[in-house]
Parts: sequence; C-alpha cells; structure tokens
Amino acid sequence: MKLDRREFMAGISTAGASLTRTEPAPGRLPTGPVAIARCRDYGEEFLSRTATMFDQLGGLGRLVKGKTVTIKINLTGSTATRMDHTPAGRAFWNHPRTVGAVIHLLDKAGARRIRVVEGAWTWGASLEEFMWKAAWNPKLLYGAAPRVELINTNIAYKGSKPYTRFPVPQGGHLFPAFDLNSAYAETDVLVSMTKLKEHATAGVTLSIKNYFGITPTTIYGNKVPLDRPSLVPYGGRNEIGHAGSRQPPSSSPPEKDPTSPRDAGYRIPRFIADLAAAVPMHLQLIEGIETIAGAELPRGPLTAFIQPGLLVAGTNCVSTDAVATAVMGFDPMAPKGTAPFEGCDNTLLLAQELGVGTCDLKQIEVIGVPIKEALFNFRQYGGPRFQRMRPEGRPGRKS
Amino acid sequence: MSDFKSMIPMFWPGGPLEAARQNKSAGSSENAGEVSGRWNRPEALRLLDGTPINALVIPWAAGLPEDAEQQKTSLPLAEAAKKRGLTVLGWVEKAADPRPAAAAAKSAGLSGIIATAFPGQADVPVLACSGRDGVPWDAPGSVLVLTENVWPGVSMAAGGQDSSSGPTAAPWLDSNGWFVQMACARISAPVWLSFDPPGKGEIVPPQSYSSAICDSEIAGGRWIISLDARLRADLLAGLDTAQKTWKEICAAAAFFEKRSEWKTFASRGEMGVLSDFSRDNFDFGGEILNLMARRDLLFRVLWKSQVTARSFEGLKAMVYADKEKPAPALREKLIDFVQQGGLLLAGYGWGPEGRPLEPEFMTQYELRSLGKGRLAVAREEIPDPYQVAVDAQLLLSHRHDLMKIFNGSSSGCNRFLISPDGNRCVLQTLSYASSFNGRREGALRTVWVRDACRSAKVWTIGAEPEILAAEPSDHFEGMEFHLPARALQPFVALEYEMESRRQV
Repeated sequence: MKLDRREFMAGISTAGASLTRTEPAPGRLPTGPVAIARCRDYGEEFLSRTATMFDQLGGLGRLVKGKTVTIKINLTGSTATRMDHTPAGRAFWNHPRTVGAVIHLLDKAGARRIRVVEGAWTWGASLEEFMWKAAWNPKLLYGAAPRVELINTNIAYKGSKPYTRFPVPQGGHLFPAFDLNSAYAETDVLVSMTKLKEHATAGVTLSIKNYFGITPTTIYGNKVPLDRPSLVPYGGRNEIGHAGSRQPPSSSPPEKDPTSPRDAGYRIPRFIADLAAAVPMHLQLIEGIETIAGAELPRGPLTAFIQPGLLVAGTNCVSTDAVATAVMGFDPMAPKGTAPFEGCDNTLLLAQELGVGTCDLKQIEVIGVPIKEALFNFRQYGGPRFQRMRPEGRPGRKS
Repeated sequence: MSDFKSMIPMFWPGGPLEAARQNKSAGSSENAGEVSGRWNRPEALRLLDGTPINALVIPWAAGLPEDAEQQKTSLPLAEAAKKRGLTVLGWVEKAADPRPAAAAAKSAGLSGIIATAFPGQADVPVLACSGRDGVPWDAPGSVLVLTENVWPGVSMAAGGQDSSSGPTAAPWLDSNGWFVQMACARISAPVWLSFDPPGKGEIVPPQSYSSAICDSEIAGGRWIISLDARLRADLLAGLDTAQKTWKEICAAAAFFEKRSEWKTFASRGEMGVLSDFSRDNFDFGGEILNLMARRDLLFRVLWKSQVTARSFEGLKAMVYADKEKPAPALREKLIDFVQQGGLLLAGYGWGPEGRPLEPEFMTQYELRSLGKGRLAVAREEIPDPYQVAVDAQLLLSHRHDLMKIFNGSSSGCNRFLISPDGNRCVLQTLSYASSFNGRREGALRTVWVRDACRSAKVWTIGAEPEILAAEPSDHFEGMEFHLPARALQPFVALEYEMESRRQV
C-alpha cells in the first residue's frame, strides 16, 4: 500500500503504516511516542540501543519495508571545523558510524532503497566528495547496505525533475511553499538524524532545525539569480533565510509578508517550522552520545564539548524535539526571552501552531529512560553566561 | 660578494632620497626628514647588533636632483656597514640612469646595484629587478628581485573596516606565494621580493611583519625587509613596542634562514599547472595558481619551456593553461599522461579524443574518458579561472588529498614539501586571520596526513620544536597531529620522517 506521507504525519492513515501511533482525538494535535536511551559509544552499543528504540516505537519494518527511505543527516558548517581536536562527528555533526548503523538497520528492516541526503553549506559537488573533503569515508555508508545513494540536495535533482514544490499546510508563517530537490518528493519515509545541540539563532537544533539544510542553496542561497535557480550554489542561506534581505528567485514562491521583521530570531524559527509542516518527517533520531553545549558549532567560550551519553528517537518531530529539549534542561514550551530561546521565537510552538504536533510533554508518551533521569543540563556547560569566561572558568565535563 | 642564498636583506631607507619620498607621500610625519637623516648615519647600524640581517639595500638613484647628495651622504653608512661584514646594495629606481649609478656604486665600494635594466657591461654586479609583467627570467645575475607585490594578509575593503570577499564570499587574501612559487620553478637563483608595509602612519602589528616574511619564505622566496616610517622613528626613539616588533621580525627571518634546507625540498602537489606564463597566459595561468592556493590545492608549476619526460612524474592531474594549443610533441606527452591514468584539463577546442563521461557536478568542462585517464575540455573559449581551480580540485577529488588542516582559519599559504631523498616531509602553513594569535576556545588545529608516520617536529617561530606523536585518524585513513595550544600561531610547520620512502 502506498503511504501518503502527509496522512502519515497527521496520524490519519492506516495504523499499519506507522510505528506506534495513536490517532489524535478531534481537535487534538498529533503526537507520537518518544524513546530515550543511554548510549556511550558509536559502535555496537549504538547499534543495539537504536534497534531497541525502534522496536519500542513499534518496529522499523512496519514503516520502511519495501520503501524508499531518505535519511537527512546534519553536516553543518565547513568541512575544516573541529571542536579543538575533536572531529565534527563527535561534536556537532552526525558520527559516520551512526549513519552507517541506521542504514544497516533500515536495510535489515526491508527498506527497498536508502538515500542519505544533505545540502551542506555552499557545497555544489557530490555529497560523497564533501565527505571525502571532511575526512569522512563514504565507503562506510555504501558498505552498510546494498542500494545506498548519497545525494547533495543543495543542487538540482538528477532524476525526473530538478525541484518539486512543497506547499505549507495552513499557509505557513513565513513562506507559503518551498521548492526543494525532488529527492524529498521521491521518498516514502523521511528520517531526520542529528546531534542533540543548542543553536545560537534558533535556541535548539534538533530534528526540525535539521530541515534548514533541505533548502537548496541554488534557490535559497546567497547571490542566486533573481528569476531562476542558479546552476551551482554561491553562498550560504543568510540572505534569504536569516536576514530576509532578498527574496528567492521569482521562479519560487516569495515570502508571505516581506514587511515582517528581518530579524533572524524571528525568521529562522518560522522558516523551519514551515518546512516541518511542508515536508512530513516520519522518524527522528537525535544523538547525544557526545556533543557541544552552547551553540551548533564551536563558537569560542560559548561552547563546550560534553558527553551526555543519550539518544532520543520518535515519530513526531515536534514531540521528539520537545522531549529532547526537555532532556537538555529546557522547557520545550518556553516563550521567547526564556532559555534556550533568549533571542528567538520557539520553533516548537510555531510548528505546533501549524498542526505538525504537540510539544506539550503532558501529551507525549516517553518510553525508556524517563526525562528526569536523562536530564543533562546543557547550560551548566555552555551558553551565554560563558561568553566572556576563560577555559579555566568552565566546570568539568560530565562523562 | 657573499652567498646570496644565505643573505637576509633589509631595505635601509635613509638620506635625502628617502626624505624626498616621505615629503611626497600623504600622511608622513613632521619629523620624517630628521628620521631619514638619522637612519643614514653609521650609528643607526647598531640596530643590527645580534640580528641575522646581513645585507642592506640603500636608496642609490632615483633620477632626482637628490641622487648625488644621496650617494655622497651614504658613504659613511656604507663604509660602516662593510666593516660590520654587511653586503651593501644600491637601489636604482626605474627612472634613473643605471650607468652612472653603477659607476658611483663602484667608487663607493658597494657590492652591487639592483636595477630594472642595464645596457651593456656594468662596473659592479647588477641584480635584475622587475615587476610581474615581462620578468627577465633569463637575465644573468645572482638574485632576481621582484616588485609589484602585495602586503600579505586579509584584503580590507575601502575604509579598512571590513574584509573584502572573494568569489566564495570567504575573505579575500593577498599573498605573493603563488608568484614566488612560479618564479622559483623557473630559475635556480634566489628570488627576493620588494614590497613595503601598508598604511599612512598607523601601527603595523608584529604579526603582520612576520606574515610578510612567512608568506615569501614558505613559497621559497625572501622578502627584502622593509619597515614602515613609524616603526623606524619609534626604533630610533627606543620605544619598547617598536623593539618588540623588531625582535619578532628578526626572529622570523632567523627561523627561515636556519631552515634554508627546506628550500631544497620539492612540492608534493599532485596537480600540475602547465603554461609559458607569458602575456595573457600569465594573467590566466597566474590567476589559476593564485586561486588554487586559496583553495589549499597543492600544485606544482610546470614551465612549458622546461618540460621534460620526467616533469609529469608524481602528478595525478594537470591544467594546460595556455590559450595556444601545445606543439605536437608536447601534445603527445599530455595525451600519454592521460592514457596512463592522469587527468588533463585542457582549453577550448582541444580536439576530439575520448568518450563522453557524465560529470558528477556542474563543471565548465566537457569530461571524457581516454585510456586509463580522463580528459576535461573547456566548454568556453575563456573559462573563469576561479572555476578552473574549483573544477580541477573536484575532478581530482578530495579522496586523493595528501593533507588536511582542521581549524586552519583563512589560510591561503600552505606548502607541503618532500626532501630530495624522499624520506622527510615538511608542511608549512600560515593563517592570515588577525585573531589567530593565542588561544581561542574550540580552535586548536589538527593536521591530517595520508602518510604513514610516527611523530613530527612542530615548529613555531621563536620556540624550540616540540615532538608530537601521530595518532590514527578516527574512522578515516591516515594519521593526525593534534597541535598544542602553544602552536596556535599564524605560522606553524610540521616536519616528519615517513615510514616508507616515497619516490620524489
């Protein structure tokens, strides 16, 4: 049976298509169970813990068997950045072994085709080449299962058509629709894999913020033509995403209200909430074995390398991110001006407004390690109060 | 005359000519004339006590009425310099007639003059001097002096508040490294660079001077040290800040002189850039070198006039950068390079060889397979040199990278060298970021190399080397060196023995 992804997301498709899904009562927001597990390494333990979590969520086979599964990974920033000597995969990117493990599990569960996608910064060549540049070995991913593809979604899709339009249900906060690489349309199941992290602009960067990188920089990147996508990216997403200093090319839908605030703390949460509503996400896996506190990338004294030793997985991106936010020591329903959303609106509340899911912990079933036992207070290690602090002033790492 | 290879020259701008120059330049201080006079006195040479500087370049002729007075008043300075064992060279401006200048230099006992051209036979050694256009590569002389250089660093936009951007929106970097590499590939004589510090009276930080030395030395050349007017005045006044800057300049100069052996090492670049580097080909081929350096793409300069059967050894890829098609014999060599498994990026209208290949990314080249290799032919007559550098790097692929630097921060000057016996490697890197001086959290550098090696000496200027153990890369091939906080300096070099000898 062909699964309609939007129906899946809204919880109104057949129960057999979901992991474990409770159909929302009329007037109630969709939700899904969220599993939390402890995990200390990227090898066997990660593989077995993740397999258990997927079972706890209802079983991977029911979701992916015979399907094209797309994994949106997170390789934010440049290939040359590390947290001191710690490789990106242990600090602020997915770890390559976790991606390999998930590919393996998807294959074992019967996925017909597995695609790993990312639109890294300004990258215009193949995703495989980006990995080589970053000292990732793509063979690790290709070797994890047969039929694995790596796709750079920054650029035009090489298949049937380059870009596909994704309207935002209920009209969206910022954009009514997005033009995205057609790989996102040619998928049955979309998985968001990312680190458990804070974000300097959006407060937290979890499964939903990971979607910022699905926008092609040939359309939403700096210096693109006014009337059509560029052939190659010319820059990051600052102009259209953060600053709103210009609109996408006229070939793509413009912002709903170009007179709205041009402040990144207003724009980015709305931008990604709109994306979460437009592009249904079926499975989230947030890895916090090791990560950084304080920001999404190393930002001087603001950030610190930490080892929470946690995994969070779920089937509703708002609910999963809400639980992950709570695990980090924050209130997922916190308004703007409250940590971690000191300088921005709360993406989770904005996505909730669009009907994507609930971020009310009372409405979310948590499986495995309870939130209060998993709690790892990120602000003890990084964030605004460390802005001017020298390294010796930072508390020790928890491991 | 001394061995020019071990000479550390410094421009010594005193006397009437310097005073006249200062008077003409905007922003010069009121006491510029007095400072020029004092620098022209023998006592000023005390500044050189305990320093590695062993050659002075003094203003000698500029085609101005002050020339005669300059030469007369510089005599005591030149005499005192000789007594100190220093080599003294007279700088002859393009506007001056070099013949009387050479005669005057001989009677003054100077070791030689630096001049743009000299008709006939000179009475003293003449070091050829040239801008970047029309360099007399085959001119006789112990040294080639190059002018029209840039002050190395992050290029600042007008007003000096913001850095200007390159094609990737990354800050644009000014570096002479690519040009020096090009020159050193062409001639065996030492290459000296002449350029002055920027600014109109503002303080030039010590790091900026060190970078000027490193930028030239890493590429194989040598900067004729030139101090800004304010520093010269402050040194005479004995200011501590000026002394500190001066010490750093001397430390950097001494560092490279002590490691002059590195200049005998060969580039490990696996990308060749082949051109005659003349006229339009210099503009295009030179810009490709410049942009490859920005992208940390290690290259080797191949002069068309010097190509032999061995020139392509060790190369995986090559850019044929000339507008003109190669002569049949060279074309045959290039095709053979491809047939044997190499990648050739050739110009528009190259020829019909090969079978079409689908490139993995948007490129301005038409890709073909030929024998064991690939041929990339430009789709347009005049490709964008930036895109040539990008395409060359991507077509070669990062899977073949020999080294990577993490947290390198706006480097545009990396050189990876191998000793003539193929046993030892040196990686030199220079960051131009102004903040790259001292600890910044999260910013410690890691160097990855593909080679099998156990440990490396980590060199920074002004410190003893530190032995650092190599660590296997996390889920990737190769070895890593985790540079300590002490090495968080703009310049750092790693020197290591290879586990197995490489063919040079």
